[in-house]
Amino acid sequence: MEFNRRQVLKLAGLGLTATATPGLLAACSNGKPAAGDGSVKFEGWDYEATLVQQNLDKFTQASNIKVNYTPITSAQYVQKVVAEFTGGGGPDALYVYDDSLAAWVEGEYLQPIDGLPGVDEVYSSIFPGNAEAMTYQGKRYGLPYYTDSNCLIYNAEILSKAGFSKPPASLEELESQAAKIKSMGLLEHPIGLPAQLSDTWWAWVWGLVFASGGDLFDNQQAPIMNTTDTVTKDVLTWLQNAANKSKVLDPASLQLLPVPVDNAMKANRYAFTIGARYALRDYNDASKSKAAGKMKMALVPSLDGKVHGTISNTRMYGLAKDTEVKDDAFKLLTYLGGLDANKQPNTAKFWFQERGLGFAYKAMAKDADVLASLKKFADPAIYAHLAEIARPRNVLGVAWYTEFETEMHKVVQGVLSNQVQPSAAVASLAQSAETLKKKYS
Amino acid sequence: MSVLTERRPLGDTAKAWALNAPAITVITLLVAYPIGYSFYVSLQRNNLKRPKAKRFIGLDNYKALFSDDAFLSALKVSAVFVVVVLGLTVVLALILALVLNERFRGRGLLLSLALLPWAMPGVVNGLMWRTIFDAKTGALNGLMLQLGLIDSYQAWLTSSTGAFLFTALAQVWNTLPFSVIILLAGLSTIPSELYDAATVDRAGAFRRFTQVTVPWLLHPLLIVLILETMNAFRAFDTIYVLTGGGPGDATTTIALLDVQTVLTFTDFGLGSAYAWVITAITLIISVGYIGLLYRKGNFEV
Amino acid sequence: MSTVVQVPLRYRIPWKKIALYVLAIAFGLYLVLPFYWIVAMSFMHEADALSVPPHWVPVNPTLENYLGFVNPNSAQELVGGRAVSETPYSLRNSLVVASATAVLNLVLATFAAYSFSRLKFKGSQVLLVLYLLTRMVPGIAIIIPFYLLMRQFGLLDTYLALILSYTTFALPITIWILKDFFRSVPRELEEAARVDRCGWFRTMWSVFLPVAAPGLVAAAVFAFMTAWNEFMFALFLTSTKAAKTIPVVAANFATDFNTQFTVMAAAGVLAVVPPLVLALLFQRKLVQGMAAGSVKG
Repeated sequence: MEFNRRQVLKLAGLGLTATATPGLLAACSNGKPAAGDGSVKFEGWDYEATLVQQNLDKFTQASNIKVNYTPITSAQYVQKVVAEFTGGGGPDALYVYDDSLAAWVEGEYLQPIDGLPGVDEVYSSIFPGNAEAMTYQGKRYGLPYYTDSNCLIYNAEILSKAGFSKPPASLEELESQAAKIKSMGLLEHPIGLPAQLSDTWWAWVWGLVFASGGDLFDNQQAPIMNTTDTVTKDVLTWLQNAANKSKVLDPASLQLLPVPVDNAMKANRYAFTIGARYALRDYNDASKSKAAGKMKMALVPSLDGKVHGTISNTRMYGLAKDTEVKDDAFKLLTYLGGLDANKQPNTAKFWFQERGLGFAYKAMAKDADVLASLKKFADPAIYAHLAEIARPRNVLGVAWYTEFETEMHKVVQGVLSNQVQPSAAVASLAQSAETLKKKYS
Repeated sequence: MSVLTERRPLGDTAKAWALNAPAITVITLLVAYPIGYSFYVSLQRNNLKRPKAKRFIGLDNYKALFSDDAFLSALKVSAVFVVVVLGLTVVLALILALVLNERFRGRGLLLSLALLPWAMPGVVNGLMWRTIFDAKTGALNGLMLQLGLIDSYQAWLTSSTGAFLFTALAQVWNTLPFSVIILLAGLSTIPSELYDAATVDRAGAFRRFTQVTVPWLLHPLLIVLILETMNAFRAFDTIYVLTGGGPGDATTTIALLDVQTVLTFTDFGLGSAYAWVITAITLIISVGYIGLLYRKGNFEV
Repeated sequence: MSTVVQVPLRYRIPWKKIALYVLAIAFGLYLVLPFYWIVAMSFMHEADALSVPPHWVPVNPTLENYLGFVNPNSAQELVGGRAVSETPYSLRNSLVVASATAVLNLVLATFAAYSFSRLKFKGSQVLLVLYLLTRMVPGIAIIIPFYLLMRQFGLLDTYLALILSYTTFALPITIWILKDFFRSVPRELEEAARVDRCGWFRTMWSVFLPVAAPGLVAAAVFAFMTAWNEFMFALFLTSTKAAKTIPVVAANFATDFNTQFTVMAAAGVLAVVPPLVLALLFQRKLVQGMAAGSVKG
């Protein structure tokens, strides 16, 4: 046998094809219908993917529109969607965090839905805060998936053991109640918060600031946490003391994602946390929680003990800009986030009944079924009060929001671990905001 | 050389390039373009979510690095991380390889154990150490409490020094096997006559080590140093799962910052510039290692 | 060790032996204990795994965590359900991808490495360094262009995309390992085969490669491990259980909404077993294979 160039190339070719034998390639096929078969490509983060699929099957049955649904790990959802749209192969319809809306509109991933059938009706039947969160530069981009606001969650049994019949209204009270629980030996660290870096946003920081009537930004998205508004600094000071002086706040919080916090609450290992209202549904579910029946919600405590507000978030369904199946995709959107033929928010109800996810529709608050299942896990009056006073972050309208939020996590971790003083922390937050603003101008 | 063929002989050079052609083709097709492209992008203002603002800005991304606090801090963290991880890895791997090079009962078992961490994906490694270091239920806390070393469970990963050291330890555990194999392979080829000669010269154990073992191990050590420096500089999986870069930015290495910049902030331009700085640093360090050994007259490619 | 040749004249405490065993035991514990902990956890019920102080040995051992991967029960479907149901698929995917990467790597690297070990040619030094240089650029720099490239080829969420990327990752190092090993194979073997009028390919196949087997094994195991352990590219290039590999699913355990420690531990153990078995099977050849390469250039 001879050795020449052709031989070598032939063999190299063999080597390549041999490793890509049909058997292997067969396993490569991913069962996805090829693009352009008319089905709607739909993506979302992987919360309860099985339930989503069941709901989508119902839609397909009723409308005869095929949906090709891909759930994506929540921690990487934003990154993967950006990669897909950059590559030109994004979905037709998708979940959108209010956090990413501005960036995704600027990136030309989404198209406005103003004027499409039923949109006006949806927007007039939802809470104004949710409508605001789904609107960017005057245009509407989403139909609501769910919304929720933050509250103080407490274990009433532990509180009563420590002699408290009422939840704290002020941060000072929260600290002193926790200190009592600690000194009685009921719990080493009565307060737990999810303060791990890989979590996408720390609602509780915003919740604490809003609860005390402050804000980090003014309505022009200029940072005020280091100038006219001292609430952020005072809240950070409180956090620093709670973590390092009175040590009522668990230092392990820095390692905790929301799930471990949930687990600890369900196991009676914390007396207090700050979280979304729907968490109570699980906390008070006897099949999942040892603390069932003891968990209650209250307004987030404030610096002065008065009622000011809380933070809300909105998760929505969006429509891709370059979709080729706009009509079908919008029908899917309407099924999921809009009103059905009887003017009922069908899927929103489904999510509340199944998982307790908060709703954007005002009328649902008075719905008898909704009220009945709400009563099983929370006090409807407080639940409604929170919805009333909740508002979205006013800084959502900037494309650099994600960067700021990430920077804020680091700074707050610095405060909690006593490496950064509150005054330096707010200064650095303001500085980051200014730098980002410049970078994005 | 006429080994290959009598008819239509090719020159050695042509043959060699023909033999390399498949590898070169695959690498060129799949990596050369992305590498070139990423360098080009590093000269751009290019944020994926702002396609309209994209433009060529020359070396501005690189110039901005000098006043980029996040970058400078990450670089510092990375430098210390590389030194700590590399130092521990090399020392531990060398001792373990020396032990494995002896004959004793259970040697086979120990060698098998030494391969164990290699089989563990970085992500799983991070998860494993997370359960071990856990503040509430972790095995480390349980063990130390039972041994009477601590009074109550500690949150090991919440102080910046603690998080840094424990992350480095988790990383070392994961990267140790590869270095051990290379060093052990090097040791196993040392001709025993060399030791015999040294013993006859009445050289003590230490002198035998420095005069026979170490010179003979220079080349494997070089490989270990280069590969482990590269690995430590781009260590991501374990840190990402274990601390996410925290507390604050205590474990935010340059690799972590880079991934965050490109994937979370979608700043492809700046992220590419970071990546090229990492490349340049690894390259310089590698050249440094090679130069160092060259001077010892023990190196040829 | 063979170096101690003198017979001791009087009884001496065998310090060396003692030191050796102490070190061996210390290293053994260091290497095995962390892994032992997740193995133990994987056979525990969640409540036992989280107990304070820890149970070092499972008190009521259970296979539930493993059986759940094959047949998730209703509780597991709620708790981290997706990662659980994807685990068996991801193991299969990882096995296919890593094996194919090892094979493809071996084919490509053998040719290239042979040229460096047997032929003197212009540009060899430059080429060798260039190979290595492609590995100095961090993956994150090329992940987006690579993603776009794979999109162009229509290879997203397929094995081939992963195999190709891991091949390029592992190739430079496998070439280096192999070229060094090939150099240690005596040329006389090939000369002898030539005298027997064997063709080049026959010579390679039946004489050269068998002798070079340890080097090939070392290179293959290295490529396999590279592919098995990689996370970031797998995360981006795959999206369904058709191609997701085990690190991607393991990361889901870390971030999913509900995760049990014990199930996570079981998945971690499963992720380690296949490559570990491989490494153990070839343990002896692995060290031999690296041996020739790492000493002389």
